[in-house]
Amino acid sequence: MFIILRGKGISFGRIVVYLLLLAVAFLCLMPFYSMIISSTHTNADIARKLLLLPGKHFMDNYTRLVDTVPIWRGFLNSVFITFTSTALTLYFSALVGYGFSKFNFKGKDILFVCVLSTMMIPGQLGIIGLYKMMDIFHMLNTYFPIILPSISNAFGVFFMKQMVDSSVPAEILESGRIDGCGEVKIFHRLVLPLLTPAIATLGIFSFIGKWNEFLTPMILLFDNNLQPLPVMIASVKSQFATDFGAMYVGIVISVIPILIFFSIVSKKIISGITAGALKG
Amino acid sequence: MKKFFSLSLIMILILSMLAGCSTVESAGKANDDNTLVIWTFFGDVKLMAKKFEEKYPNDHVIVKVFPGDQYKTKLQTALQAGGDDAPDIFDLERSYMGKFINSDFPVNLTKIGGEELVKGYVPYVQELGRDKDGDLMAVADTSSPGGFWCKKANAKKWLGTDDPEKISKMVESWDKIIKLGEKINKKSHGKVHLISHFGDVYNVEAYHLQPFVKDKTLQIDDGWKKAYKIQKEIFQNDVGAHLEFMSAGWNNALNEGNVILTAMPAWASFMIDNEDGKAENKYAVAKTPKGLYFGGTYRAINRASDKKKLAYKFLKFVTSKEWQQFNLEKTGNAPALKSVYKDNFDSYTSPLTGHLKILKQYYDLVEDVPAQKAGKYSEDLLGTWRIVAGQGIKDDKDFNDVVTQFKKKVRILYPEIKVK
Amino acid sequence: MKTALDRSRFGFYFVTPFFIIFLIFGLAPILYSLYLSFTSWDGFTDPVFVGFANYKRLLGDTLFFKSILNTMIIWIFSIVPQLILALVLAIILNEKFLRGKNFFRAVYYFPNIVTPVTLGVLFSLMFDWQTGSVNHLLVSLGIIDQPIYWLNSPWLSRIIVATVIMWQYFGFNMLVFIAGLQSIPQELYEAAEVDGANRLQVIFKIMLPLLRPVLLFTMITSIIGGLQLFDAPLMIGDGPENSTMTMVMYLYETAFKNFNYGYSAAIAYAIFIIILIFSIVSLKSQARKKD
Repeated sequence: MFIILRGKGISFGRIVVYLLLLAVAFLCLMPFYSMIISSTHTNADIARKLLLLPGKHFMDNYTRLVDTVPIWRGFLNSVFITFTSTALTLYFSALVGYGFSKFNFKGKDILFVCVLSTMMIPGQLGIIGLYKMMDIFHMLNTYFPIILPSISNAFGVFFMKQMVDSSVPAEILESGRIDGCGEVKIFHRLVLPLLTPAIATLGIFSFIGKWNEFLTPMILLFDNNLQPLPVMIASVKSQFATDFGAMYVGIVISVIPILIFFSIVSKKIISGITAGALKG
Repeated sequence: MKKFFSLSLIMILILSMLAGCSTVESAGKANDDNTLVIWTFFGDVKLMAKKFEEKYPNDHVIVKVFPGDQYKTKLQTALQAGGDDAPDIFDLERSYMGKFINSDFPVNLTKIGGEELVKGYVPYVQELGRDKDGDLMAVADTSSPGGFWCKKANAKKWLGTDDPEKISKMVESWDKIIKLGEKINKKSHGKVHLISHFGDVYNVEAYHLQPFVKDKTLQIDDGWKKAYKIQKEIFQNDVGAHLEFMSAGWNNALNEGNVILTAMPAWASFMIDNEDGKAENKYAVAKTPKGLYFGGTYRAINRASDKKKLAYKFLKFVTSKEWQQFNLEKTGNAPALKSVYKDNFDSYTSPLTGHLKILKQYYDLVEDVPAQKAGKYSEDLLGTWRIVAGQGIKDDKDFNDVVTQFKKKVRILYPEIKVK
Repeated sequence: MKTALDRSRFGFYFVTPFFIIFLIFGLAPILYSLYLSFTSWDGFTDPVFVGFANYKRLLGDTLFFKSILNTMIIWIFSIVPQLILALVLAIILNEKFLRGKNFFRAVYYFPNIVTPVTLGVLFSLMFDWQTGSVNHLLVSLGIIDQPIYWLNSPWLSRIIVATVIMWQYFGFNMLVFIAGLQSIPQELYEAAEVDGANRLQVIFKIMLPLLRPVLLFTMITSIIGGLQLFDAPLMIGDGPENSTMTMVMYLYETAFKNFNYGYSAAIAYAIFIIILIFSIVSLKSQARKKD
């Protein structure tokens, strides 16, 4: 495979490489294809046949699903949670990262080590305590414990500090101070615009992370109308034990919007990840 | 940039406030004294509420349905958290109700004269709602008889008859089932099985044996040894189709008919594909060797509720003849009151079983189920036993090995239970 | 001088939000969990202090040890093929002659952004014994006569869970490797070409050695992630003989299915210690290799 890559034009080796790439692409997409096709058939057909072409029962399956599961509500909840959390993560990570990067204050180094060490703590360590605490504070079944922790995103701080180190020159800050801007204003007017590319990259990471979050909302939210999409999909699985059609529709609804979103911005996402990987 | 960020921050704050508010609004109840909030995992409770409101137009019922298997956790959380989010009445499922009725959450119905609710009930149905002291904590409005469901055409082909009574006779003991099953297995060259799974034995026998925990000590009823032997024979002789209860293949077999007798509750008949009425009059139900029931939905009043009177009124309604008769006719859910059974012996039929008068049979089955309390652990331990014994059967282990394994597991999982 | 001091005050203000929120939603619950791990608490009554009973129980809990083993097995089954595939694809997609690079990258990456819960449900449907499309496909193609009972075999179940994980993450790792490859200076390749090295030599002498830090970084992050596997396996279930029950699943089920909150807090701490040990060991080994 390697040797053959040298020549120009179409060679046997290149065909093999393309076939390999296509095979992997096929394996990547086949489950999604199968899911879409299955969602358009009756349960009996799903159970018995190999389905390759779309059927006519999507709406039947869809109706059975939305009769009991407010799946679109879940979708909107996810959108709301994800957008607010991401906005908080971005703003505060930039602010904290900037604070660590460009200021000298007592205990700065120790504090920064603290930030880094919080990255080592697995998310579920405090989950039982969080559950009981939120119960005591009457914050169960609210979005506060889901959204507010986004303010303290250790990876975001670490990433933003590095970005500020490399892309915010001290001269700009000085010139801002000479112009008489306050520190807060300098951050908003001068620093944030310089960080736009970093914000885009971090935004993608935290968006995906939050969109997929499952354990915390499942435990802390008990009202069906508040739950995000992953929790609803999980409950679809347990309530439609043998109603495959409805289950497939649920999965389709959770995948298709992401597919559309991804096909529009895939280039940005991929270059963002590449950039993020280099920094990390 | 600054504007954008301060704007988005404000947006976040406003939206999260809204989220906070909407929580209270959507989960909470109207502050009306005549409004009752019920939590359930079962969608049909809405019908119950509608009928109640029809009868008492001044009262209102809000039904919050939490489908899926996280309901019990949500319920526990809400009961603990109290406040506006908690329900006045909460539904409990058979599998975990023992934990809730032996806790401080429900109102002790016996102490407020609730024994009147379950007078005339099928014995096992009323006993399940009692805590360890024998006080009534929760009540059901249905019983859940199970039986051997079969496709009539299929029964005629393989058993030579589709008369439920004759079939019941043919399968009145496990020995007969094994013999018959072997015969059918041979005749069909292994394509058709008499029953779905050796687990059917477990499902039937489980509630006829003494519960696993007595006075916080593990006890193993002698009956388990016999049941284990029967299960092993069923497994080894391919009497069962190796399709676990409620699995996809099981459901398929129920509709296709490559399993002749499917042991299942009447409420599971929704698993039969009846599109355009194609399954109507196609099924018959025969008796299992012993009385059989599956699951159950129980209702309790929240001790922290400030509308206990209204809640009691609701329980009184659902335990009444009026509701149970209506429910039987409307949804086919079997009643809990013996009198409703008896009144309908000669009249009740359901679409899937056509002209068959199935209630008498159901009545015999549920009456045959011994009355047992839903203990705190009994259902968990049954589940553990089912897994350990199921594995033992597959690995062809001795009964004593299974018992040792089971005890080991109980020690780990439930350190508070004494194991001898 | 004074202004500099004044300014540093702002730095402190800027970083405080992080710590306030972390104290409330991070540290406090963790400490509270620690307390709960010394109690017996079933959610029906108040927690009762029981000392080290939960930890003692944990040491004899074969199910917990099994869950550790399961997690490791699933992790290894997913990480090894995942890294190999990601590496091969990254090297291929780094080739200049190739057309449609962006398409392939996007397609391979796509599974990564689909919610793990959804993937878990999807795979459990696809691998269903009687009704799943995988068996339908294999039977139709004549590869097998009888449907395979995938989720009834401990090892097959683990492999399926590992497949889900692998399928979800290989695209992401591939992008990371591509980034690593692109950071290799062009001159190195040119120099190699001048020396008359063939592709194989370029790959083994230049690409792989220079990618090693990236590979190690990926391994370490994936250990931490892999030990916390939860969403997708939860949807596929405990598996036969609990063979696909991961550590975090055991934590979850102990707390929210069996109402054993105190014990599950102890499990959470045990998991934390395991992750800590693994992170330290891998960081150390990375440091040693650098020397």
